[in-house]
Amino acid sequence: MATLIELDGVSRRYATPGGTITAVDDVSLALAAGDALCIVGESGCGKTTTGRMLAGLLRPTSGRLFFEGRDVWRTKGDDLARFRRAVQIVHQDPYASLNPSRTIAQTLAAPLGKHKKLHGRGARAAMIALLERVGLTPAEDLLVKYPHQLSGGQRQRVSIARALTVDPRVIVADEAVSMVDVSIRISLLDLLHSLSREFHVATVLITHDLAVARYFARGGRIAVMYLGRVVELAETESLVADPAHPYAVALIAAIPEADPTITRTKEHVTLRSAEVPSLLALPSGCTFHPRCPLSEAGLCDVVVPALEDLPGGRSVACHVAVRERRPAAELLGVR
Amino acid sequence: MPILSVRGLSIEYRTRRGPIHAVRDVSFDLEQGETLAIIGESGSGKTTLAVGLVRLSPRSARITGGQIVYDSGRERVAVLELDSEELRRFRWAECAMVFQAALSAFNPVITIWEHFFDTGRAHGMHDRHRVHDRARELLHLVHLDPDRILSAYAHELSGGMRQRVLIAMALLLDPRIVILDEPTTALDILTQRAIIDLLRELRRKLHFATIFISHDLSMAAELADRMLTMYAGRIVERAGVDDLFYRPRHPYSIGLLRAVPRVSGALGSVASIPGSPPDLIRLPRGCTYYPRCPFHVDDCRESDPPLLPVDTPGHEAACIRWEAVAARIGSAAKPVAEKLA
Repeated sequence: MATLIELDGVSRRYATPGGTITAVDDVSLALAAGDALCIVGESGCGKTTTGRMLAGLLRPTSGRLFFEGRDVWRTKGDDLARFRRAVQIVHQDPYASLNPSRTIAQTLAAPLGKHKKLHGRGARAAMIALLERVGLTPAEDLLVKYPHQLSGGQRQRVSIARALTVDPRVIVADEAVSMVDVSIRISLLDLLHSLSREFHVATVLITHDLAVARYFARGGRIAVMYLGRVVELAETESLVADPAHPYAVALIAAIPEADPTITRTKEHVTLRSAEVPSLLALPSGCTFHPRCPLSEAGLCDVVVPALEDLPGGRSVACHVAVRERRPAAELLGVR
Repeated sequence: MPILSVRGLSIEYRTRRGPIHAVRDVSFDLEQGETLAIIGESGSGKTTLAVGLVRLSPRSARITGGQIVYDSGRERVAVLELDSEELRRFRWAECAMVFQAALSAFNPVITIWEHFFDTGRAHGMHDRHRVHDRARELLHLVHLDPDRILSAYAHELSGGMRQRVLIAMALLLDPRIVILDEPTTALDILTQRAIIDLLRELRRKLHFATIFISHDLSMAAELADRMLTMYAGRIVERAGVDDLFYRPRHPYSIGLLRAVPRVSGALGSVASIPGSPPDLIRLPRGCTYYPRCPFHVDDCRESDPPLLPVDTPGHEAACIRWEAVAARIGSAAKPVAEKLA
């Protein structure tokens, strides 16, 4: 399938009093229409910064963002406006991302008027259709409400409906379910998932929760980030069942599971160090080497591993896994 | 002999619309050394209950009935009848609470050592050296370097370190009960794993009983011996950890379990619970879960059922349909989402 949106070798650096922080370092990701991708990682790994660069909210310090083959940061006028409409973001906190002094109707009317020239009755019909599409019924009742009158889940559905007002081609959802109650997360993920199926929207979900990633990106891909780099990119099921990068192995092995037998008998990976290095003083070579049980002196602490292909449609940035042509889950004896 | 026994506890919040019935007629026992996990959605009353146990509820809350008896082995204490001085001693010395390790759990302008010292002094440990020795010992126990930590300020520590410090401080007076409120929320996975392992180790070494509140079922799966499911302020199911995860008999427990996807094993039939929790000011008649429940029958609208013994020993569910639930879920040791697939 043709690439719709692509990050090509993007980095984002920040100058701070303590030195330069590289939040994202040389990340490349591409999505076709209808793709589902999850970016997972711990706090500070650069997943949100990557999402913001993908959505065109943040200009990369180096590298490029392409939409339909055009370099977004070199486009102007109509092309740029088209990109802005095509790529929508759903934020983590629906309390903060909806204007508290506007009714739901007012919130939805603004983009419908500006981008679709819909006003009056036409706009009202479109709003009702959108609210019904995101599962908010009876839609007429909701239009007159303010955000504080809705539950967290309903608010997040309104955020999604707002994103849909402009018929987006790409939706970037940053931790979009982490603030809603566990009992309703799945229905929100199902809603986002159905958009990629029905309207061929490319959806990117950024999350720290691998179980959520696995559920959302079934049939899609997961990218695992560590200290600003993508260390593994693979199809969802092969990533969770048989991770190739030692960091991904350690992460998956450490996850507590809602199953007492599995979670109490899971084999864990003992890392060489529990300390996450500072972004101000990143380790040489592979940034995971000071913690990695497979690290080889003279190789991993010297050469930065590139993201390379392994059999089974996965890419991994690990010298050892690539050389052995085997996922690290096997090398570490954790299956 | 249970170390803590709660009978008929009810807690309300006063609001302009009328009282919110946040905890309704809750009874349970906490045995010596066991870990009891309380699960439920936000608004189910689990935090109100936990905070109410040590009478730390906000002013708008009122305990409207019931009793809490703490039995240290030496004496029996009616917690609801303690005066403020006795209550202060009971908290921390007998029953400590560990909150989420947000920065707000610390005083930003004093060092960690001063936190330890203040806590000790407030509870009659006036000997600086004794507190210092105990603090060092506890920090070792939670795998932190005392030399570095004691002179540090909270903002200088990572989230995982702060959580360890809070746990160490909770243990300062050697409490017999530790209440943990979402102790690993907002921590990264590898840090979370380390805290889980630490809690397990401390429990083994120090034999305190734990009440554990989390919206995260996987934490309960890791640490709990027994579990309580709360819905709309009531306990709707009480079971051993394996029974609750593999043989739940209340439809709400099933709903919670199905709502959480897993990383290992088959995904199974994952689904959210339809609808939303009831208004705790105007509770519906009959079973409060009735409007969301796939197992409901007309009789469910008649009265809110008490906890009824079900087909596995030491296991109760507040559901008149538990036999229908049992027929659907069965007894195999497999996750509910897999069974319903």
